[in-house]
Amino acid sequence: MGTVYQTFTPDAALFQTTAFPQLKTINGTNYPVMGLYYDGTVSELAYWQFKLRNYGAGVDMIVTLDWYADTAVANAVVWEAALAAITPDADTQDVETRAFGTAATVTDTHLTTTGQRLHTCSITLTGSGPLNSAADGDACWMRIARLPANAADGMAGDAVLIGWQLAYSDT
Amino acid sequence: MALTTVNRGRVLAQWMREQTTPLPAVSKADLAAAVAAMDDWLDANVTSLNAAIPQPARAQLSAALKFELVGYILMRRAGRLRAEEDG
Repeated sequence: MGTVYQTFTPDAALFQTTAFPQLKTINGTNYPVMGLYYDGTVSELAYWQFKLRNYGAGVDMIVTLDWYADTAVANAVVWEAALAAITPDADTQDVETRAFGTAATVTDTHLTTTGQRLHTCSITLTGSGPLNSAADGDACWMRIARLPANAADGMAGDAVLIGWQLAYSDT
Repeated sequence: MALTTVNRGRVLAQWMREQTTPLPAVSKADLAAAVAAMDDWLDANVTSLNAAIPQPARAQLSAALKFELVGYILMRRAGRLRAEEDG
């Protein structure tokens, strides 16, 4: 038994024609920092397409997000993750019309002190709804959004996602 | 006339997007309250503001132009208005 990790970068994200976070690279003092800038008032969504390998049947998936605040120094941000999964050769579902499974959220509060300090938080996809009945070998799409209209999302300005990780057991 | 709730929300949204400097420890709700209060204050004091404008500008400028001029003054005070003369 082991844990499988897949990592995803901002520049691998896919977008619809509207409501997408801006992909931006900032020239830091010593190195560039790339991220997706999720708006503080309008919900924006990004998508990643990937192959689900060595996935244990029906096990939880942990989505770990690394983010920082663009301008804020306090308050919380609400992130949401949703998964769509299709089993090749088995599912007759049209690949272009598959619906996402039940979305799951996490509220992460800015730890203050330094505005642009890095934060991490995790969303657990558990149960057949959120996992979208995913199986080993599936083609998958992950949607990651910020929910600025959520009452718990009080953080002003953009939240910058610099990457995320998917983890799950292989058994 | 005061801005509508929707317009106040859009003012705040755009202001947050254009922020380049760190904000103090305030929430979106705190900032929305500030926008509403300042807009209400402008509404309550618009007569006084108008009376402060000397003639003939007071009579000749439309309300929209007067608001725009106030906006330019405030933007300059905030360091957000750059003029061609600044080089």
